[in-house]
Amino acid sequence: MQYDVPGRADTVSAQILSAWNDAIQQQYQRLAPDFGTRFFTIDPQAIQNPTPTNAVKWFGDPAEPVSCIDREYARLLSDWGIRGRQQLHNEYAEYRVVQAQDSATGRLRNKRVQITTELREFWVCVAKTEPDTVRAMAQAILGFAPSWQDLYGVADPTTLTPAQREVAFSRLVAGHGNDNALASQGVPAQPTGPLNTDNALFMTHPINGLDDLLYIVMFGAKPYARRVNNQLQPATRNQIFRAFGVEHLACRHADPAAAMGAHAQVYNGRTIAFANPLGVYIAGFARDVFSYQNQPLPDGWVRFSRGQQGMSQRLEFGPPDSHAAFLDDIQVEIAGVSHSVSGGYQVIQHMEVGPVVLLGPPSQVGAQEYEVLNTSSDPIACGEADVCDSIRALKDEYDASHPLVRTGPRRMGRRG
Amino acid sequence: MFVPVRRTEFCFSKRLWAVYQGLKQGDIPDLPGQRVPPGNLTCLLGYGVKAFELAGARRAVPDELQQFGRFRSPLTSGGGPLLLGSGQVYADDVRKNPATEILAVQFVADTQFAVNRAVVETWKLLQDQSRSQEGGVLSVAGFFQGFQRDDHRSWIDFHDGTSNLPSDQRQGVIVVKGMPAGNDQWTVGGTYMVYLRTPVDLPAWRRLSRSQQELQVGRDKLSGCPLIPSGAGTTPATGCPAMGTVGVNEPGNESFFEPEDVPRPSLLGMSHVQRVNQHITPPDDRNSLRIFRQGYEFLEQSESVPGFRAGLNFVSFQDSPERLFRIMTQPGWLGRTNFGGDPDQPLPGMSRLLTTRAAGVYLIPPVVGTEIFPGSSVFMPRPRGGSAPTSSSTRSRSSRASRRRS
Repeated sequence: MQYDVPGRADTVSAQILSAWNDAIQQQYQRLAPDFGTRFFTIDPQAIQNPTPTNAVKWFGDPAEPVSCIDREYARLLSDWGIRGRQQLHNEYAEYRVVQAQDSATGRLRNKRVQITTELREFWVCVAKTEPDTVRAMAQAILGFAPSWQDLYGVADPTTLTPAQREVAFSRLVAGHGNDNALASQGVPAQPTGPLNTDNALFMTHPINGLDDLLYIVMFGAKPYARRVNNQLQPATRNQIFRAFGVEHLACRHADPAAAMGAHAQVYNGRTIAFANPLGVYIAGFARDVFSYQNQPLPDGWVRFSRGQQGMSQRLEFGPPDSHAAFLDDIQVEIAGVSHSVSGGYQVIQHMEVGPVVLLGPPSQVGAQEYEVLNTSSDPIACGEADVCDSIRALKDEYDASHPLVRTGPRRMGRRG
Repeated sequence: MFVPVRRTEFCFSKRLWAVYQGLKQGDIPDLPGQRVPPGNLTCLLGYGVKAFELAGARRAVPDELQQFGRFRSPLTSGGGPLLLGSGQVYADDVRKNPATEILAVQFVADTQFAVNRAVVETWKLLQDQSRSQEGGVLSVAGFFQGFQRDDHRSWIDFHDGTSNLPSDQRQGVIVVKGMPAGNDQWTVGGTYMVYLRTPVDLPAWRRLSRSQQELQVGRDKLSGCPLIPSGAGTTPATGCPAMGTVGVNEPGNESFFEPEDVPRPSLLGMSHVQRVNQHITPPDDRNSLRIFRQGYEFLEQSESVPGFRAGLNFVSFQDSPERLFRIMTQPGWLGRTNFGGDPDQPLPGMSRLLTTRAAGVYLIPPVVGTEIFPGSSVFMPRPRGGSAPTSSSTRSRSSRASRRRS
């Protein structure tokens, strides 16, 4: 069976479709020796009478900075431009705030938030296979045709081999995505060009990749059990993540939701698969908590795209260029209190994302199929995770570049 | 019971807490030496946002309460939405939310009388205090009563609470977790309580046919079995109720407590049970939006037809009120939806099936041995010594579900 392109957002050639399916198969084959079970199939057509589940989704706001510091710094750091995106946006949703000049003051102000859940690997497949197609995809999003220089660093990408195009595009637009082959050729983790740093074209955080999506679902797709009073019961999240030394993954939204969502199903003997097309989709967005001048947001201010009905991979949130309003003219109401929208964090906080997962019917799980864990169920101390060191370092840098200054007779604010 | 504080110097009486401890043993201050049946009374003390805004407060408002500690106020003309993005609304005659006081006390007991007595004994002590030289420190702003049904159904006749959290998952959902060192460390081991007083429009509900009601709820009206799609319609889940039983709450039906996921968009997929529990795991992760519900029905007299008001005291416990606020505002959950069904094409009366008369959010502090009463350090310096929180308060609460409250 062949997967369609994510969201069925693009009409592509057979070569691109083939390259995309090769990418999926390669990742699956790499993971299968360690994580393959009868409870996960890469072919959704192998499941008879499948039913989709609503249970594999999560909120897009980064969880780690909340555990490591607090909610306020989670917002400030996540909204800290490209630095926040590249370090913190690891819940399979990334955003970038685009600015525009306020004609009244001449100042640059936040205008819109671009949110993407698109997988890097698909764009790389297109970029290495058909430069014209990737340029057309970018143009449809950006509103202008990007130069070959910005896409590939050369005037004519057809002079490059597909492998050379993959390296060039990854260096400028996609980053290495934890691909060792790319990293060994000097491709940095994050792109260096402006197209996907000034904008959010698709996800670039190395942990937001196809390989990690497959990994975390396959990782959870085993009937892990624990013994309670000599009876087998489902193992807990903390036991499972601790048993495999990946406690740090338990401190995000995405990984526990994906792994434990899979585990809950396979424990009942169900086989699971990603629905066609495989991708990460916007599963819900609470647009009604936002308002402009005490009225619901105009339709054109919440624009979903990059996917057919129910499979959007992109949201552009905020007034169009033709409107005089700016992002902070929009109010978000949280628990009865209104706040101006200061960046993307408040938007992505109200967005659920996830893949569509199919379930097969329940089946008997053989006694030998259970993997009995003896690890502790004690809480995982997310505030002490290693990643907190780098997040606190980011906070220190943020504080240094945004010193507290007096902004009014009785008010302090941050400069920067 | 909601208690406004009139003076900040000494915001909750040590004596009042001592009275409650006495009541739990059957000791009445006015009846020294005469022990009465205590009715298994338990008391829970909650702090609202306003408690931390008092001039004498020694703790900053916890971050979770600061961010998720309020509902909208009713409109001055009455009614209005509870939250932007939510389908919950105040009743048209509600112009003031009475559940926004500084303190809330939850009494739960085996008998209604034991609960009523606790309210009256509270008043007695406060009255004595107002006559003393100290003057009035506290007053009772109001109280709401309720009871639990022994048929595990609600006023709309359907089973209720069937897919509530199993006991082994409660602590993970309700207890405030560890966090980095900071001002809120003292709340670890406590929990957050949300209270909603929600009358149900029974005349509107009874105008629906049984099948319409079942599609709103997502369960069979008689057996409580979850519905599944069947051709163009629905049918109770295969095998439910189990052979020899007639209802989902009888032994042998445990596997039907949790309805199977139903594909969306479909009317059944938009039913109440499909919206409020989407089986996201693990429950102790906030992302799951699981909460622990304590429901207590009420019935009170009313001036308007049908002459009474029937409804639910909705009480939920969670490690952060954010879980409930997200349930109430997120589309696909209860966002834009009053109870269940399609918010764009609601059945007649269903956009106001439930209304709200009171709504509040309270921090329930952990029990700390060195405090005079739970959370006393909000107002008074903590005595020297250990301050390690225990979770005894949250553990004991899980066994209270079958008792009465006010």
